[in-house]
Amino acid sequence: MRDVETRPRRYSRIIILAILLASLPLIIGFTLLVLSSFSTDMVTNLNPSSFHPTIENWINVFHGKLATTGGIRANILRITLNTLIVALGVAGVVTGISALAGYSLSRINFRGRKHMMVLLLILHAFPGVALIVGVYLLYRLTFPQTSDFVRLYSFVYVIFARAALEIPMSVWLMKGFFDTIPWEFEWSGIIDGASRIKVWRKIMLPLIKPGILAVALFAFLAGWQDIIYVRTFLIDQTLATFIEANIEAEFSHMPLIAAAGTLYLLPTIIFFITAQQILLQGYSGGIKG
Amino acid sequence: MEMVSITLDGITKKFDDFTALRNITLKINDKEFMALLGPSGSGKSTLLYTIAGIYRPTRGRIYFDDRDVTNIPPKDRNVGLVFQNWALYPHMKVFDNIAFPLELRKVPKGEIATRVREVSQMLHIEDLLDRYPWQLSGGQQQRVAIARALVKEPDVLLLDEPLSNLDALLRIEVRAELKRLQKELGITAIYVTHDQAEALAMADRIAVIREGKILQVGTPDDVYYRPKYRFVGGFLGNPPMNFVDAEVEIENGYLNVYGSRIPVPAQYRELTQKLGIKKVLLGFRPHDAEVVRGATEGLAGEVYSFEPLGREQIVTVSVNGAAVKVFAPEGEHFTFGEKVTVKLREDRVVLFDRKTEKALEFLD
Repeated sequence: MRDVETRPRRYSRIIILAILLASLPLIIGFTLLVLSSFSTDMVTNLNPSSFHPTIENWINVFHGKLATTGGIRANILRITLNTLIVALGVAGVVTGISALAGYSLSRINFRGRKHMMVLLLILHAFPGVALIVGVYLLYRLTFPQTSDFVRLYSFVYVIFARAALEIPMSVWLMKGFFDTIPWEFEWSGIIDGASRIKVWRKIMLPLIKPGILAVALFAFLAGWQDIIYVRTFLIDQTLATFIEANIEAEFSHMPLIAAAGTLYLLPTIIFFITAQQILLQGYSGGIKG
Repeated sequence: MEMVSITLDGITKKFDDFTALRNITLKINDKEFMALLGPSGSGKSTLLYTIAGIYRPTRGRIYFDDRDVTNIPPKDRNVGLVFQNWALYPHMKVFDNIAFPLELRKVPKGEIATRVREVSQMLHIEDLLDRYPWQLSGGQQQRVAIARALVKEPDVLLLDEPLSNLDALLRIEVRAELKRLQKELGITAIYVTHDQAEALAMADRIAVIREGKILQVGTPDDVYYRPKYRFVGGFLGNPPMNFVDAEVEIENGYLNVYGSRIPVPAQYRELTQKLGIKKVLLGFRPHDAEVVRGATEGLAGEVYSFEPLGREQIVTVSVNGAAVKVFAPEGEHFTFGEKVTVKLREDRVVLFDRKTEKALEFLD
């Protein structure tokens, strides 16, 4: 990594110190959560003597035993799978739609293109919560009559509803990535006999791979983390709603919830590390000139 | 290879309010190497892309032989295009880059392999087929781009400043090779460039383009020695043609250049009499004049500067404030401010009308 070397050295130390201080509450919070998940008692009282190491919480989580006593069980693997379905579904829908829409906004001159881009930005400004009444109305209106498909329907609905929130920004991101690709690549393909869609698939998509990955990762995390839409529309539980439902239950054993919380955090951490590498790396090939 | 000539009939291309091409009419003969030469923004690349089919002309028609291709999509025109930045697909190996046009045509795999190998042998890149474009040098990438354009056996080869991304030495080397390749293949080629040396060195004919209009079409000799416009003379040659203001003394057949009087060159004597134009521009090439000392017939001036270049030197002479560049032999010595006379080679002098900047012989 290169930079101009004009900044005095002591400033960078001060900046690093300030950043550390600012992020300290987050670091402490997450550390306590992880520590509690490996302890018989919560350590959130900041008293080290309450830390008694154990992995029982984790075993119980995977067995779906919610309380240390009693027989309340939950299928945590199924819940994790549900979360994955929603997250991957959102990632798939968002990536697919924004890769197509971003290309057309970047490369195709059609009527209303400019208005559409402004509209997308306005759409992005609407928070998902503000839209939820309307989205719920549509949910009820299209709700299946027979109960056979209700669960499937709720999955499909929550995926598309949640994806719709992510799409405006993702389309803009994707358009930005397409904008950076010189026209010559596309012209070259067209002259060689490729259709527009083939140019998109065979030439453009590989060239914006880092962009696709970035959009997919953000969409995945949005689906993974979402609680409001999942809670409103999904009949099954995801990790988010599971933790939320159990956090205040009388029977819940908090260190166990801490373990579930840590499990819930893992993909976020893993994906942010990978995303960071992909985004920093960019495309090593590129074009000359 | 079949015969392919290209006829452009009154091509006009507008982008919104901007007119990129104005009524271009040009015929490119079969197997001809035609250079489109012009400064940046002159519309030469737009013209090339219009021939390729990427742009559709606002007015006018394009014919490949007798076939009207104006509204035919690029893929059905069978043209090969080499881009300025080569546009090699970075995610494909060299082999796949070259094979791509054939794959799109659904050519059988075995035949693709043979044809890719043939064309890469011709361009001496058969050892690079397994590499990615970014692993190649500029010159190698350029060969791959040409191979990709040639592999589909196009009727026409279009080149958009293909050498401008190469360093100066390599450019001169490739230029000779490309010229040879075009003649060996016997393919009709259109070559866009802003480098006058490239156009002169490679082309059978040159079309000089400015502001979307063709100023002159002719052999390199034609456009170099018989420029139709002052612009053409000033655009070709390094250093370019010199221009000084002159007054025609019609009554006695002399040119007056800031007090220096020289006879009107033989080829213009009749013409100046007939046209009766007094205010002209005197144009001559730096190698069609010499710097002499003592009073002879020529342009009187003083040495402003001199630049030895090894084999020769460029002497800048100030003729009453107008800078004139003349080649001089290597051994000669000059001093700043020295009084000299620029003696012209009469038969190479070109006179332009000062108002229209058009050479007198082309005035209607």
